[in-house]
Amino acid sequence: MPVEFAEKTVPPGRGIFKRFKGNIEAIAIGVKYFFDPKRSTLIYPKEYIKLRENYRGFIVLNAKKCINCGSCARICPAAAMKLIRRPYTDPKTGKTRMKLWPVINYNRCIFCGYCVDVCPTEALHHVNYHDVVFDNMEEMDQTLESFQQAPEHPTAKEGIPVRYIIDEEKGLVKVRVEGGEQ
Amino acid sequence: MSGIVRGNVGFNDLKIPGMWSRKIGKDLYEVFIGPQHPGSGHMRIIIRIDGDIIVEAEPDMGYVHRTMEKLSEGRAWIKAIPLFERMAIHDACNVTLPYVRAVEKLLGIEAPLRAKYLRVLLCEINRIAAFLYGFGIFGVFLGHSTMYMWPFGDREVWVELAEWLTGARLTHTYPVFGGVRRDVPEGFTDSLRKAIRYMRRRLEDYRKIFVDNPVIRARLEDVGVIPRNLAIELGITGPNLRASGVRYDVRKNHPYEVYDELDFEIPVFQEGDAYARVHQRVQEILQSLRILEQVADWLDKHPREPVMHERFWKTAPPLYKKIFQETGRVKLGAVMAIMKIPQGKAYERGETARGEISYYVESDGGNKPYRIRIHSASARNALVYKYIVPGHRVMDLPAIYGSIDYFPPEADR
Amino acid sequence: MSPIISDIIKIIIWPPLWQLIVLGLLLPLGVVVFIIWFERKTAARVQRRIGPYHVSPRIAGGLQLVADLMRYMFQEIIIPKTVDVAPFIMAPLIALILSILPVVAMPFTSNASYFPIGMRYSLIVALALITLSPIFVIVAGWASNNKFSLIGGMREAYLITAYELIVMVSFLSASAATGSFDLVKIVEAQAGGKWLGLLNPLALLAALIGVLLSTSGFPFEIPESEHEVVAGAYTEYSGLVYGINMGAAYLKRMVYSILIALVFLGGWRPYTPGPGFVSGYLIPSIVVFIKATILMMIFSFLRAVYGRYRLDQALDIAWKYIFPLAVAGFGLSLALAYLGIY
Repeated sequence: MPVEFAEKTVPPGRGIFKRFKGNIEAIAIGVKYFFDPKRSTLIYPKEYIKLRENYRGFIVLNAKKCINCGSCARICPAAAMKLIRRPYTDPKTGKTRMKLWPVINYNRCIFCGYCVDVCPTEALHHVNYHDVVFDNMEEMDQTLESFQQAPEHPTAKEGIPVRYIIDEEKGLVKVRVEGGEQ
Repeated sequence: MSGIVRGNVGFNDLKIPGMWSRKIGKDLYEVFIGPQHPGSGHMRIIIRIDGDIIVEAEPDMGYVHRTMEKLSEGRAWIKAIPLFERMAIHDACNVTLPYVRAVEKLLGIEAPLRAKYLRVLLCEINRIAAFLYGFGIFGVFLGHSTMYMWPFGDREVWVELAEWLTGARLTHTYPVFGGVRRDVPEGFTDSLRKAIRYMRRRLEDYRKIFVDNPVIRARLEDVGVIPRNLAIELGITGPNLRASGVRYDVRKNHPYEVYDELDFEIPVFQEGDAYARVHQRVQEILQSLRILEQVADWLDKHPREPVMHERFWKTAPPLYKKIFQETGRVKLGAVMAIMKIPQGKAYERGETARGEISYYVESDGGNKPYRIRIHSASARNALVYKYIVPGHRVMDLPAIYGSIDYFPPEADR
Repeated sequence: MSPIISDIIKIIIWPPLWQLIVLGLLLPLGVVVFIIWFERKTAARVQRRIGPYHVSPRIAGGLQLVADLMRYMFQEIIIPKTVDVAPFIMAPLIALILSILPVVAMPFTSNASYFPIGMRYSLIVALALITLSPIFVIVAGWASNNKFSLIGGMREAYLITAYELIVMVSFLSASAATGSFDLVKIVEAQAGGKWLGLLNPLALLAALIGVLLSTSGFPFEIPESEHEVVAGAYTEYSGLVYGINMGAAYLKRMVYSILIALVFLGGWRPYTPGPGFVSGYLIPSIVVFIKATILMMIFSFLRAVYGRYRLDQALDIAWKYIFPLAVAGFGLSLALAYLGIY
């Protein structure tokens, strides 16, 4: 087994010279960052992060694909997804009968994504944003109609979409990406 | 007279379990640090001071107790994973992995090799992020606001990587029974290598402004010394234990996943003081970076292959396999929600950023756990305050608290 | 110009009044507002943040401090039942007054018609007035009747014993060098680039560290250390009174900085004050303020680099290292006087 323990010791630091050196180094690095801050702050409402496509954001139902199996409600760890009974008219046969449809309650949802992953027909999918505004708690409890539309994304309307890429020297670097409505 | 408290009985004579009181010495000054104190977190430490010296310290835990063990008994097996993540959300993969492994043990399966590497990948990313989180809290406890902002900013790099891999910043819910939920996306390993090189560079900056800063050294050296025997006696775990000179790391002593195939070393310091614990964590980050490099190399060499155990993947419909090949997303079978785990008991442990976490899982053959017992690292580390804080000055309390890297939600569960 | 207006102007620029209200309160307040903004911006730059921004994005959040001041002004002042009300309210006000009072003993010009008071013993008077205000921090801590306040007040008391002597000895080394307690003479002796701070860096360093100790600047931000004693002596304060407490600490540092600028950094030199209000009073005082502001900026920068020392370590450093340094500075000043440089 290559994993080994390695005895280490704390480097010595007592003595007037070491202390002096430590002070100078600390101030020097402070001055260095003062002149070259390498910031990565997101100025939030003016800019927003365009998250990747695989981000686990809000969940949208595609009712056309839904086979009413109820797996999503069964696996939901927070009991956010529940099934409601609604009439459904089969386009081929024209028959109407009651079926169970999933709706989500965002008061409870923890965005674990189990429901999306367990859906056998990909009827559920995530949108790649999470900054959505609800006026009240009742509105967070989705209806079957609102669950089928992607929620409104307010920051995309006025903000500039950016994405962070990882850089060797600066850590996170903010770059502008396509998208947004402005 | 049992059960009746007479009028002249002192408050000290009351013996209510968990609500004991104690006489205060004449010259002692009792100060309640927490739970609504800027330097306490979700915890209270009652200290009694004589002048500037702390004579007694009592950690009073339990402010964020959420009955996780009991909650898990009422829900399906897979639903306990997102629950247990909430013990330490920035260390989510490390905290839930032993539970997943314990259930896998009961099922008699083992994750595919690629899934194991992916688990290690996220574990180490989480570990680094958790160490940086600890550094940030530690820095601000010592009044060093730059050391608060820098690690939190650099932690964002690792959180960003974790988000790219799993789709969520913190509560990844990444390992599930039989495998993991996503494969690495395109271009991930390149960014990972950049992040590794960046982190090495930044650790040098941390050294200059914090670790080797004479003010910080003066605050930390010979403060909060945990002697080796006390550390063993109290069952301290993780970096705190290794900083006291005990050679114990779950990744080495009880290797899990692919830790025994990777080339890294486990640093051990002999000093046992707060300063050694800082160095311990810096070294641990360096070793985690080393592991990540090897994992990145391995992932580059090996093409995409199923990251779910055959038992679940064999029966997967073609749509599932197509989605996995295209996006790397693993669809879960509907059986996951109603799965019955064979009767039995399993015990698994893992090394989180704060120390050893262990799960005892018992199944009665149903679709819900019969009993899950969690032994988390912070609960064991928190005991140490009672023993090492007395004798120090009041201003040493944040230094010791920060150096232990205590995380109340993990301890209280 | 009618005689009434000229009389009013005369009253306004009557040196004691002008010095206390404008140079002692308004101008330092302006500088303090700038310095707090600068401190936040500096810390933000070093910490790779932006700092104050959203209040006024065009001028880099410059109005943030005004917004904060407004918040303090309109916040409810909560006086807990358990406090001793009179000292609780009076202590910060007296501390504020005492921290700006030393300005009346500081000359901002060599033109004798613009001295607020007689300048013969001005250094002694200024130092004596500066050392009064910490007592009221302790009073505030005691009157608050809160454990954290009391501990904070006691820490201040500990630190007074440490820094007072350092500050005294290091400033008086100027008297040792120039043979005078007169700040005007001390400044004039430094004419021609012979700044005492350059010739006697030991005393300057001791004075700077003494000021950091006395105004709880990093790395000696001990009495208000948030993670043990919440806000030290000011824990129970809220609203404008809390703002006064914080402002008083910065004003005190500003007054110290002015004194250092006068004693060690050549005061209004290289400018030579002439006759008249503008050239004899206004311009030299601005020169002094610029020097003091630069000092304040250096003090502010240290926040981004250092944590805080432990109380006993601060005392240890003060007595074991900085006090001997101050005494050595005093000796160096004597040597300078002996060599006849001043």
